Amino acid sequence: MSGNADWKVADRRIGILFIIPFALAALVFMVYPVAEAVRLAFYEHNPLHPETSHFIGLENFRTIYDDPLFWKSFQQATVWTACSIVLQTVIGVALALLLHLPLRGISIFRGLLLFPYIVPTVVIALILQWMLNAEIGVVNWSLKSAGLIDENIYWLATPNMAMISTILLNVWKYTPFVTICVLARLQTIPLELYDAAKVDGAGAVRRFIDITLPQLAEVLTVVVIFRTIWTFNKFEEIYLLTKGGPGTSTFNLAIYSFEQSVASLKMGVGAATGVVMMFLLFTGSLIYMRVFKFAEEETA
Amino acid sequence: MKPFELAGQALAYLVLLLVTFFICFPLIWALSTSLKLPKDVMASPPTLIPREVTLANYRNLIVGKEQYFHGAGKDYVPSTAAPQHFTSWFANSVVVSLGSTLISLVISTLAAYSITRFRYWGRRIIPYFSLLGYMIPSIILVFPMFLVMAEFHLTDSLWSLTFGYVSITLPFCMWLLWAFFRGIPIELEEAAMIDGASRLRVFVDIVLPSALPGIIAAGIFSLIVSWNDYLFARVFINSIEQLPLTVGVMHFFEGVHVDWGLMMASAVLMTLPMALLFMLMQKHLVAGFGAGAVKG
Repeated sequence: MSGNADWKVADRRIGILFIIPFALAALVFMVYPVAEAVRLAFYEHNPLHPETSHFIGLENFRTIYDDPLFWKSFQQATVWTACSIVLQTVIGVALALLLHLPLRGISIFRGLLLFPYIVPTVVIALILQWMLNAEIGVVNWSLKSAGLIDENIYWLATPNMAMISTILLNVWKYTPFVTICVLARLQTIPLELYDAAKVDGAGAVRRFIDITLPQLAEVLTVVVIFRTIWTFNKFEEIYLLTKGGPGTSTFNLAIYSFEQSVASLKMGVGAATGVVMMFLLFTGSLIYMRVFKFAEEETA
Repeated sequence: MKPFELAGQALAYLVLLLVTFFICFPLIWALSTSLKLPKDVMASPPTLIPREVTLANYRNLIVGKEQYFHGAGKDYVPSTAAPQHFTSWFANSVVVSLGSTLISLVISTLAAYSITRFRYWGRRIIPYFSLLGYMIPSIILVFPMFLVMAEFHLTDSLWSLTFGYVSITLPFCMWLLWAFFRGIPIELEEAAMIDGASRLRVFVDIVLPSALPGIIAAGIFSLIVSWNDYLFARVFINSIEQLPLTVGVMHFFEGVHVDWGLMMASAVLMTLPMALLFMLMQKHLVAGFGAGAVKG
């Protein structure tokens, strides 16, 4: 080994050397695409004729502002997100409480929960298209044999049912996420809290409201914010099941943006929609960081 | 008290079984359909256990026989016999998933070590920058990335997909590994360096082994995300033989009739590698969830 000073210099070089690949990759694969997306929002860009691309100021934003379909997509995305999040949270918490019980074999059930997360969206969308098939699908058949319905339900061909079907897919795939986060938190609540409450004569419901819920408040806020941001911007979960249809009844902003870019060849309009989505996303993230005073946590 | 508790337990198990049913039924139903003869697939009432088990759907996917089209009538000639490409799609999916995961892991492991062990300007914002990066949905990245790929004449190649997936997997690998490296006690490394070991030695012999669970977790999530992607492949790839599985099997919907048996067989085969990974690596997956690495 050479002298101490030399060693320190070499040492620091390694630190810089190790960060360089990330810095380059982040520049090329993260910063540049986002910057390019923002730039495109101010351009008219036809992917088939890239040479005609030119700056048009705020024209794309005016286009989406004046487009009823944009607002319809926005509204539908809100409904879709709200329903999905409420269902995921309620079912997710209930499941977590259930899985927190000291039952034999419970770890098998806990492990199983992760399964929907690894199933490709394409796969569950294909299977649901088959199961929800109006004429020969197993779901309509089961409902009919159980006497619950008389007529076949057109799950994917009527606007309201298509919306419900996509929510169903989303809830199936992502409720486990909520459950796992909540379960992890549940396991860290000190048992003494419950013992003390029991001594004071608090019933199970009281204990849940007074002890469990306040302890879960933080993790639930995180999960709800994250899930809201992601759910609002989902593309595949809807597109693969209904293609945004029937008609435009399950369009959200992601599908609107995709259709503008791919079907109408208006990449600028698609990008402008993306900028609106990013604006909403950053607002959501800021709320998240505000709530948890993120920067301070780092010193810990 | 005792019978009351027993009833409660029974109820809990009942609900758990119901949940398990809802989680598993779609896959079980797909498996059942995929093993049925064409006439039984459409039969009413549908049966969970196939009347007669056949592997024909799987054979058609893997060996790629055109007999798949016989059911559609003799006059029907498909423009491209989609099922013939199944094995190459599968291989493509494997290559791009492994490729992007490897790239993301190498880059983020080095970077995570660097920002948790060295002091220099800007190192603190990197994790938060990554967090923001992994909140950005693919739909925003995909078209600008497409233009970049077109610039480098990489579109319609597996390279474009590999790089495209790096843009999704790198941010969360970074975030997860940062959290992980931060938790590795630095004392061991210091002790080894005082004993005269070089920085690189310490990195390879001490840091990497202790970071391995985190690296594996990041790797699994990265594999899942790249394997499951549809959007990037849909936008980047034109030629049918360059597609990954997710976009490829959607081509089975083209043509006059949908062969649900074949469709479900491909759904089963597409889930299989991830299901195996899931079974082997379940513990690491849970660890990854804990560190908040889940994109979904």
